[in-house]
Amino acid sequence: MQQRDNENRLSQEYTNSVLLNGTLQTPRWWPYLVSVLGFFVIIGFVLFGIQIKYGLGVTGLNRPIYWGLYITTFVFWVGISHAGIMISAILRLTQAEWRRPVTRAAEILTIFSLATALVFPLIHAGRTWRIIYWLIPYDVSRGIWPNIRSPLFMDPIAISTYLTGSTLFLFVALLPDLAVLRDRTTGFRKGFYTILALGWRGNPRQWKMQVVGGILLSALMLPIFVSVHSIVSWDFAVTTAVEGWHSTIFAPYFVIGAVHSGVSAVVTMMALMRWGWGWNEFIRPEHFDALARLLTVVATAWLGFTFLELLFALYGLDAPEIALREMQIFQYPWNMLFLTFLLTGYILPVPMWLFKRIRTNIALMFWSSILVNIGMWLERFLIIVPGLARRTPFVFTWEAYSPSWFEWYILFWSFCWVTLLMLIFSRIFPLVPLFEQKESEVFSDDIKIGRATVPTIFREEEE
Amino acid sequence: MSTNEEHFHWPPSDPKVVKDELISSTKRGGGFIKKSIWVLSILSILGIVGLLGKLFLESDDQTQWGYIAAVLAFILSTTSGAPMVAVAPLIAKANWARPISRIAHIIGVVGIINIIIMIPLLWVLPPLIVDGARRRSIWFEAPNYSPHFWDTLSLIMLAIVGIALLYSSALPDFATIRDNSNGVKQRIAKFLAHGFVGSTVQWSTLRMRIGMMSTFYFFTLIFAHTLISIDLSLSMVPGWRDAIYPMAHAMGGIQGGIASVIIVAWIVRKYFGYENYITINQFWALGRLMFAASLMWIYFFYSAFIVFWYGKSMSDTAWLDLLIRGPMMYVFILGMLFSFIFPWWWLIWNKVRNSVNGPFYGAIIAIFGVFFERVRLYVPAWSVDPSLIHDKWLKVIPKTLFPDIWDVLVLVGAVSSVFLIVIIVSRVVPFIGIWEIQQFNLLAKPVKYIKAHGVRVAKPD
Repeated sequence: MQQRDNENRLSQEYTNSVLLNGTLQTPRWWPYLVSVLGFFVIIGFVLFGIQIKYGLGVTGLNRPIYWGLYITTFVFWVGISHAGIMISAILRLTQAEWRRPVTRAAEILTIFSLATALVFPLIHAGRTWRIIYWLIPYDVSRGIWPNIRSPLFMDPIAISTYLTGSTLFLFVALLPDLAVLRDRTTGFRKGFYTILALGWRGNPRQWKMQVVGGILLSALMLPIFVSVHSIVSWDFAVTTAVEGWHSTIFAPYFVIGAVHSGVSAVVTMMALMRWGWGWNEFIRPEHFDALARLLTVVATAWLGFTFLELLFALYGLDAPEIALREMQIFQYPWNMLFLTFLLTGYILPVPMWLFKRIRTNIALMFWSSILVNIGMWLERFLIIVPGLARRTPFVFTWEAYSPSWFEWYILFWSFCWVTLLMLIFSRIFPLVPLFEQKESEVFSDDIKIGRATVPTIFREEEE
Repeated sequence: MSTNEEHFHWPPSDPKVVKDELISSTKRGGGFIKKSIWVLSILSILGIVGLLGKLFLESDDQTQWGYIAAVLAFILSTTSGAPMVAVAPLIAKANWARPISRIAHIIGVVGIINIIIMIPLLWVLPPLIVDGARRRSIWFEAPNYSPHFWDTLSLIMLAIVGIALLYSSALPDFATIRDNSNGVKQRIAKFLAHGFVGSTVQWSTLRMRIGMMSTFYFFTLIFAHTLISIDLSLSMVPGWRDAIYPMAHAMGGIQGGIASVIIVAWIVRKYFGYENYITINQFWALGRLMFAASLMWIYFFYSAFIVFWYGKSMSDTAWLDLLIRGPMMYVFILGMLFSFIFPWWWLIWNKVRNSVNGPFYGAIIAIFGVFFERVRLYVPAWSVDPSLIHDKWLKVIPKTLFPDIWDVLVLVGAVSSVFLIVIIVSRVVPFIGIWEIQQFNLLAKPVKYIKAHGVRVAKPD
């Protein structure tokens, strides 16, 4: 097969064959990995069943710490979900060319992490079915209604809207690739792709509608993108009773933190995709370079917000708030967690990203992105738990919070679950958008300016 | 692909024509410019008179200084954010900003006005220890006059970095003017060009210098907004604890900066005949930024509002009473209309953004919005009775304070001096960077691809 055409661009045939190698064929490692992950996932479901039978007593949650590892993980996965819209919608609107190979992975990461996040309040509730009492006005005769002004009520609505919108967004972007798959499969699979491709033939009108649809959805998704994590933050910020939570900065602080963690998760995924499927010509060091530059800016803004959050916690000179921060920063074991959070969230990765050699080193980018998400998980833990854990008067029982192995396993389960879903997705749909890749090849070119060879792109003007 | 220059307004491809047309901006409009300089100088002097009048007649009453602080914040917000319009695209390697980046840098040099307004404010700004007790501030155990020192220093730094940024970015143009003019102009340009001959080393040093200055300017800007917003408004009100406020203030500054660049770019395009340099592309991109800034404004505002409104503690309620439904309710409504509702509803339309006049009108609206916002935030904060400073929250909401003649003079003088400085600087530095346009021409070409018109943009590393 001809790898490059006459103009030294990757040929369309070659692009199809390489990027569909995980969809039309089964990679050798795929069944083993899926089996192992499936095993862990099943154990997670069994543990969840045990928790339903015996109640939340199997967790470390106890008075006064009712929100622990489950809620932390819920916030963490909502944060990861910000990857998709950040990469796909914002970078599409700003015409960042380097986004192209990354968009699909970011979008599916959004969908699967949101779906996983939605599971955590159910797990956290203990008796899962009772969630319905909080969301639906079930008891008209007693006049008991859910408080629709509460962010706790708005949360599932915002997340469901985001999930629906993200799925639609992904589907619109998948259409041309579904048609490619339809034309390259037989039997049941052909029927499946034929239904999903919605009669896509690639005529000019269809392309125009697809592009317009993508841009409109990008613009519509942006407010939802911002509102989701803002509403999650208001679960905490509108509460005056818990020290450290009632802060006006929480909404943008959560959003910027979510972008930091989400984009880092995309870096992790890209490295895994490159290694797993061997897409070296499509996921290139310059893509990691661009993402690391973006992350440097985002992480620095996030650090600024972290500083302001701490500064204004102390600004009021309220003794309980000062005591809380003292506990959080100086008392064992919180101080160790705080130090790890700062080191992994900013101090270690960001200085690394200042060097181009590191930004284009895929292994180092992979590990630094993992560090960021360790830090970002700890950030959420340090926001949620210490405020509840500090001893205050008039509370009659005290238990220091130590998550049980149940909770730790459910956290581990969530990673296995998301990875498993992504692997299954990769067998059905391409992880790198074929049409974006081909468009990029057409629009990109190298030109000589003086002695330098410079990459160029074509930008269409609005009429 | 074939070139199709006639489809677009595009800078002339001949470097000599570009050079001549752009250098001529430093000489154009002789009579009108001279008259403008005279009028603006007189108005600026009136502003100084206003400051002196305020200082001599009202320095013993801190509550009367809210409008002066608001003017300082307004000028800071509408001018110091302007260079960010050049800095952000530089980081993102966006070529569209090249024709307007010089305008952004020129607006950034008016920082001296902020320092002048800050000087009398130093007399009335309360120290950290009031009536023997330390008031709430971000300075905790720092020396008594820390806000006075650091706030002034931040404004001085901002002004110096702003000037350095303009100087660095204009260095190659000084060399061009030196080589293409005579007399006094040549001597000035020769002095300013500092031996720049465009060697490879000089260009690479220059690029590095502009990058570093831009980064430093950004951090100084955030630093200045943080200190000014906290020390000159937030910490004057007992119980006002609002962690997002400095960032919201800086965001307002970015919105104001974009608006200023659009307004000056529109004037330069129209009255200097630069239709081929500052094209619809620049206004379209700036219009999008303005639209995003309006959305950011409402997001930051709402993030604070919902926490106070929902919290319902005494200090939360006091915040609502002071800044929303209290003495400045009508100014709050105007601020909301001009900072968010009008610019948002106007710029949401692609046809409006994709025009020259649309973003211009949006920018004028936003400038008024920034002004109303600063009045809403600073005037009530300064109106609070100083004897209540140690209270846990604000128990007595002050009455509406109206501006006196001195306040009006300071406002007129400050705005006039912004225009005065921009005009004076433009006599020495071209409004559009000559080297920026030469690079713009090298890096972007209008092309026709099948039936589509577009631009091929080079992105050097």
